[in-house]
Amino acid sequence: MSSKKHITFKILLFLIFTDVLETFAQFCFKKSAMSGNLLGINTLSEGIVFIKTVIPSPFLWVGLFSVLCLFIIWSAILSKIDLSVAVPVASFSYVGIPVVSLIFLHEKISLLRWSGICFILAGVILVSMSSRQKARPV
Amino acid sequence: MKQHIFLIIGLILLTDIFDTISQLFLKSSINSLDLHVNTIKKALQFTWQLIRIPRVWIGFIFSTVSLGFWLFVLSKSDLNFAFSLDSMRYILITLASGLFLKEKISPSRWMGIICVVFGIMLVAAG
Repeated sequence: MSSKKHITFKILLFLIFTDVLETFAQFCFKKSAMSGNLLGINTLSEGIVFIKTVIPSPFLWVGLFSVLCLFIIWSAILSKIDLSVAVPVASFSYVGIPVVSLIFLHEKISLLRWSGICFILAGVILVSMSSRQKARPV
Repeated sequence: MKQHIFLIIGLILLTDIFDTISQLFLKSSINSLDLHVNTIKKALQFTWQLIRIPRVWIGFIFSTVSLGFWLFVLSKSDLNFAFSLDSMRYILITLASGLFLKEKISPSRWMGIICVVFGIMLVAAG
């Protein structure tokens, strides 16, 4: 147990990658759902018809494959660090996505949102540092 | 209208609780394996061992139900509201990690998690 387990830069990169992959998977599912029968689903049989129309969509399968990869990567991460570290640090996407959309999409970020981003960043740094302290042998 | 909002709040909490349970099952199964993953091949072997633990599948079921609740919430509720309340999951997961997985949550980790939750609320409000 003493080999546990402080967060490294590599693990941080993998955590950010899971956020990106998660977003990609959601995008694929949304795309595949829109290719399906959009007449509205109210009954079970209509639901089955919907699923049948979605199954040929390549987006569905790419999305499912992404989820499989996500599971493998997330499990590997959890084998190295505490759950109470991995989950808050994964909230880094709340920092990364606005900054990326600022740089590449030239979206405006309000002052309130910037202050939120700073709080999240501070929180992620605090949590990461707390995992480092624990790693020291006593 | 008021009843409606309570239903949404309840469902968001259920989403977070179910998600926490699924993460607990996954993490406790991983802890029971105690394998060092450093190559892709080892990661695949590790996953293969993992999916033969029944608890992991119970976790999958919880996670699917949680996703179902979440999609329902998103179809009914204001996105900003849903996201800021959903940040409760960080507190739930931390509490559960301390209680059930015996992870040591130092004061600075708590501080960090509270900062994250507060920050998400600000981002959602902004």
